[in-house]
Amino acid sequence: MNESKGTTNKSLVELATFFVGDALCGMDILKIQEINKLMDMTKVPQAPSYVTGILNLRGQIVTIIDLGKKLGLGSTDTTLSSRNIIVSSPGEHVGLLVTRFSDVISADTAKIERAPANMGGIQGEFFSGVYKTDDKLIGILDVNKVLRIEEQGH
Amino acid sequence: MQIEDDEILQGFIEESLEHLADIETDLLAIEKAGADIDENLVNKVFRAAHSIKGGAGFMGLTVIQELSHAMENILGMIRSRKLVPNPEIVNVLLQGSDKLEAMINNIQSSNDEDITEHLIPLNAIAEGNAVQAAAPKPKPALKPTVEVVPEPVVPAPVVSEAVAPEPVPEPVTPVPEPIAPPVSPAPKLTPPAAASQLTSTATTPKVKADTSLRVHVSLLDSLMTLAGELVLSRNQLLQTIGSNDLRNAEAVGQRIDLITSELQEAIMLTRMQPIGNVFSKFPRVVRDLSKQLNKTIELTIVGNDVELDKTIIESINDPLTHLIRNSVDHGIEMPADRKLMGKTEKGIIILKAYHEAGQVVIQIRDDGKGLDGEALAASAISKGLITAEQALIMSDKEKVNLIFLPGFSMAKKVTDVSGRGVGMDVVKTNLDKLGGQVEIVSEVGNGTIISIKLPLTLAIIPCQIITTSGERYAIPQVNLEELLRIPANQVKKRVERVGTAEVVRLRGNLLPLIRLADVIETERTYWDQEEAGRKEDRRGSIADRRGKTSPVFHTNRDDKGEKNKSATDERSVTDRRFAASSALNIVVVSTGSMKYGLIVDRLQDSEEIVIKPLGRHLQQCKGYAGATIMGDGRIALILDVSNLARMARLTSIDGTDRANEVALAAAELMRAQKDKQALLIFRNSEHEQFGVPLNQVERIEKIKRSEIEDMGGRRVMQYRSGSLALITVNDIASVHPLADHDDLLVIVFNICSKPIGLLAIGPIDAIEITSEIDGVTLKQPGIMGSIIIDAHTTMLVDVFEIVQALYPEWFADKLVFEVDKTSGVIPTILIAEDSNFFRNQVKSYMTESGYKVIEGADGAIAWDLLQKHADEISMVVTDIEMPNMNGFELTETIRKDSKYNKIPIIALTTLAADEDIAKGRAVGIDEYHIKLDKEKLMTCVHDYIKRLF
Repeated sequence: MNESKGTTNKSLVELATFFVGDALCGMDILKIQEINKLMDMTKVPQAPSYVTGILNLRGQIVTIIDLGKKLGLGSTDTTLSSRNIIVSSPGEHVGLLVTRFSDVISADTAKIERAPANMGGIQGEFFSGVYKTDDKLIGILDVNKVLRIEEQGH
Repeated sequence: MQIEDDEILQGFIEESLEHLADIETDLLAIEKAGADIDENLVNKVFRAAHSIKGGAGFMGLTVIQELSHAMENILGMIRSRKLVPNPEIVNVLLQGSDKLEAMINNIQSSNDEDITEHLIPLNAIAEGNAVQAAAPKPKPALKPTVEVVPEPVVPAPVVSEAVAPEPVPEPVTPVPEPIAPPVSPAPKLTPPAAASQLTSTATTPKVKADTSLRVHVSLLDSLMTLAGELVLSRNQLLQTIGSNDLRNAEAVGQRIDLITSELQEAIMLTRMQPIGNVFSKFPRVVRDLSKQLNKTIELTIVGNDVELDKTIIESINDPLTHLIRNSVDHGIEMPADRKLMGKTEKGIIILKAYHEAGQVVIQIRDDGKGLDGEALAASAISKGLITAEQALIMSDKEKVNLIFLPGFSMAKKVTDVSGRGVGMDVVKTNLDKLGGQVEIVSEVGNGTIISIKLPLTLAIIPCQIITTSGERYAIPQVNLEELLRIPANQVKKRVERVGTAEVVRLRGNLLPLIRLADVIETERTYWDQEEAGRKEDRRGSIADRRGKTSPVFHTNRDDKGEKNKSATDERSVTDRRFAASSALNIVVVSTGSMKYGLIVDRLQDSEEIVIKPLGRHLQQCKGYAGATIMGDGRIALILDVSNLARMARLTSIDGTDRANEVALAAAELMRAQKDKQALLIFRNSEHEQFGVPLNQVERIEKIKRSEIEDMGGRRVMQYRSGSLALITVNDIASVHPLADHDDLLVIVFNICSKPIGLLAIGPIDAIEITSEIDGVTLKQPGIMGSIIIDAHTTMLVDVFEIVQALYPEWFADKLVFEVDKTSGVIPTILIAEDSNFFRNQVKSYMTESGYKVIEGADGAIAWDLLQKHADEISMVVTDIEMPNMNGFELTETIRKDSKYNKIPIIALTTLAADEDIAKGRAVGIDEYHIKLDKEKLMTCVHDYIKRLF
């Protein structure tokens, strides 16, 4: 779908947007399993620093990743507005802890541009592209990259 | 391929495999029956072959059709009694069915198979020249069977799991015929080549994992019903929430609770499979193997119906096969050797599964030559696995269990049967993975019993829940040895530092300690009981006292303790060294050969938990085996005890782990060889220490002095809606009177089937003693003797005697103890016991009741005495652990002599382990009694005497 040729029939993608710290990020809504505000996590001592804890999601153990930390923006505080975005990863579900959820917008895939090497202090490698709306710049997260486990550990 | 309809083909495959699974067992039964044909059985096999033939014909599978036709012919002849089934014929049939199975598993290429080597003997038999056909056969025919055996893979297409894994027959053609090569060239091979072939075939056809499972329809129905119920309840719940009806909510909650637990149970049941699925292949394994080795062996299988979790059933197959092969190959001797030893030529292997204490036990018992502990030890020494010194102090059982050491292969010569480099250690590792335990009991010349204990299911495991740093963790019960709480005032005494490691003294051994908080790198905390809260722990070493208001530490702590100041002020206790919160909670865990203590903040309940895996981001955390969801919905991590030890860089104190374990076990054994006696230690006054045999104690209650009532000159208290008579040691014995404490302990005994409470004060402790009890120095009424425990003289209280003196009326109806003198004969009892104290004690019981007693200080002396006084002695009472000849040996000696084999033998033990009891029963001990339990012992003695006179 990202290989759209920009012809007359525009292909649209629904982007779920959310804030990681002050940075506005987005991802394809179809990749999202659910969004919840369950914050009663169990800490896992010795886990990689970006893992906030584990959560009981209706009988499944879900690892919660602090997206802020993973992207190098500092840890995300759990507040009333913070949310877990549950995405499925091979064999399990993983939650991404974000500061605040924003809107769902329809984006024209043709208008998604390549991500710059660095964006708002975030390593470009985590983005598959950027999308500009009238007033905002949305970094589109490459979820697979975010979920990938670094060889060196933490 | 002309096969068009996938579904019909799939059906044919499933059905045929099912038939074949049965054919094997049935053929073996037919072979066993010989000329005495069981028509039903033959009919069954005949029909199986027939329907395979029919199906194959319909599908156009000509080769399968041809082979099954040839088999059917022979079966037809057996059925009409034109042919007597003998091992050769059955062999040919078995090979035929193996080939059929191979072809059916590989249906697409079946038509290209060459089956002439099967057809020729089959047709030869059918044509009536069975004798000639069979005669040249046996030798070459045997080798192909060998090929079949090593496939632990073909799990005798387990009846209920025969559903083929891939529903759609993918074109398998690219792999031409993976099964064919081993079979066809085999007859041409010379024996050694056949052996090497065997190794390769064993690896080639790899497990076709069963991904589907056959479940009984009725079980599915009940699952459906439950699911329906659940939906209904959900609707009710939603409705209740909507209408805010609390009373109804309770009812609905209860309903959901019931349904979920039932649902859980039913779902667990779907995973349960009969162990017969695995067992069913062993008759064939044993048959083929014993033929190859020229041994005659009968395999008896018991407990086919015992059910286990599917995963366990699948993984138990290989270890079991290995063990069975070992029994056949190494265990059972050659017929000639057996004859020489006075055994029957036919060896016996019993494979048995049964339930015991919530576990399933699989037992493999053979009556072969047994394992020679000495030979094993010698071999282990020569391989450098243990030292000669270690071997010296090992028990026979220990030596036998050396076989599980990695790198220990006990086959003197590697045979192609079991010595394939796969040692018993692999078996043990595999069983460990399943949470199983394996144990060998062996007697040279008489056989071996291997017992495997397995949990019923892997999905739910019992765990001990603990808290550290405010989070709960679960420790699997399998790893749990004991829970230890070291009271604050003993911490300093019992916890020591060895180098950087902290260790605790536990019954004379040093146990390394690990602080859980340190290993998983969380803040150290402790649980303050008085304030019911978690506190930060700042002590450097465990033995340091907690709390810092002591003047010595006040100054130098102040500088860095600023922020804790307020916390300090909150604490009211000046010196916390003796505060309850300074007590250490230690979970003693063991993993393989390693045993250590894990220091945690709090110990909580034990719970049955469901293991869930951790996500891949947490795979690097080696300290956890998984996670589980607790009752309140939060998650607790399950600790991996062996990895924690590794993370803490824990090594055993001297040398290898194994050496340490052996040393420990040896020390344990040394103590076991003396009589162990568990005592409950208490005090009556502050200064005198008393003990009573722990096994006589029913329970211990804490009471206030005010609860004691003085009624009719007797002390009683209310206890379980009745009156409990209370006694003290000083009622009878001249010792210091009961201390004037407000808090008292009542040790409850049961004498003459009445409860009686002995008043006492603490501290109480349960210990095991091995030293000799002095029955002379301090003996007086109510005191049976004394013993030194930790430099304290401890008097052993004879509760029985005290009660007898205080409440003689209780014994009024217990006249059974008195010998019936009307017969004029005074029965004589032989007592064999090495400890003077116990011997005198038992003797006094007997003489009191009017029996005559002859005593021997060990088994050998007792045996001499028995022979000398053969006419008088009507009963033997023996200790188990004795020098020269122990109780088991004595019993065996007595039972072997026809003159005495009727004489009742009662064994006295201090700690009756089930295993010992079983062993005792096996050698012929009639009854087991606990030493010093006068009442039970005498009742039993009298019963037996009565029967004799």
